Amino acid sequence: MKILIVLAALAALVAVTSASGCDKLQRLKVKGQWSRAYSSGHDREDFSQAIWRAVFAQVPDARALFKKVGGDDTNSGAFVAHGLRVLAGFDITVALLDQPEALKAELAHLKTQHDARHIPDNYFEAFRLALGHVLPAQLGRCWDKQAWSDCFEVIAHGVKGH
Amino acid sequence: MLRLFVLLCLGAFCAAQEGRSHCCSAEDRNIVQKQWSVLWKDTESSKVKAGFARLILLKLSEQKPETKALFTNVDIDHPQGGVFTAHCLRIVNAIDMAINLLDNPEALDAALDHLADQHHARAGVKKEHFKAFGDILAGALPRLLDDYNIMSWRSCFRGLYAKITSKLDA
Repeated sequence: MKILIVLAALAALVAVTSASGCDKLQRLKVKGQWSRAYSSGHDREDFSQAIWRAVFAQVPDARALFKKVGGDDTNSGAFVAHGLRVLAGFDITVALLDQPEALKAELAHLKTQHDARHIPDNYFEAFRLALGHVLPAQLGRCWDKQAWSDCFEVIAHGVKGH
Repeated sequence: MLRLFVLLCLGAFCAAQEGRSHCCSAEDRNIVQKQWSVLWKDTESSKVKAGFARLILLKLSEQKPETKALFTNVDIDHPQGGVFTAHCLRIVNAIDMAINLLDNPEALDAALDHLADQHHARAGVKKEHFKAFGDILAGALPRLLDDYNIMSWRSCFRGLYAKITSKLDA
């Protein structure tokens, strides 16, 4: 009987810790997987293009937000630069997942940059889904969907402010 | 005499080029990218990167005391704090973006143009600050990177600084 109680308590503990979302271990995993997928040079440009094309395929209207930075042509220099700029910001948030104070500061910074653009929530969702397809394409089996889903939520929540 | 003339012409041509020029040759760019990539091998490298940028910015504010006020917004008074740490990573990532775009001149130009706008918008930022920043960075990188080809870095970074500072008034 006692053992059952202990087991139940343990099960409850596991449930509580895993339900918290984006825990410490998940953060480490996401960091490691991101740095492999993010890569460098031409590979990074291709990675970025793939993500943005996947975003625009889902929400074509989002292109209008990127008019000033060459959104009409994802191959243009202006858009390549912009796409990489956004990923560089995302890279900072991922890198800081295990440094709460600095993460908070970076998310606040990104929030002010996005506030004025009035980005609907479904665009963030499109970005999440785009990542959810391009990352496994880049990483193969070594991709943890749940960890990404949980930790992306932390980042998107910070940038959106809600 | 002819040799000297050719050299002088070459020098003048180099000086006239901005951004990525033939002085930052394909091999120079390869070398810079390869040597820089060492910094990014480890998952925990964000701590190294932030620490590195922190030292450079603090040294800059020491050498050019008037620059310290320019970083008040990002809490330079608490350099170990989260706000300044995040800013340090922003700077490292901007450098990283430029280096990774070295062989895509069109996109590199667009990226540097954007950075030029962002610095133009900050009243008080001067070209001499970038000169000092560049000197400090050039002094620090070889301490961080085991392999550091001074000529390649110098020729490629000269163009980057020229573009970033192109919109500053002073």
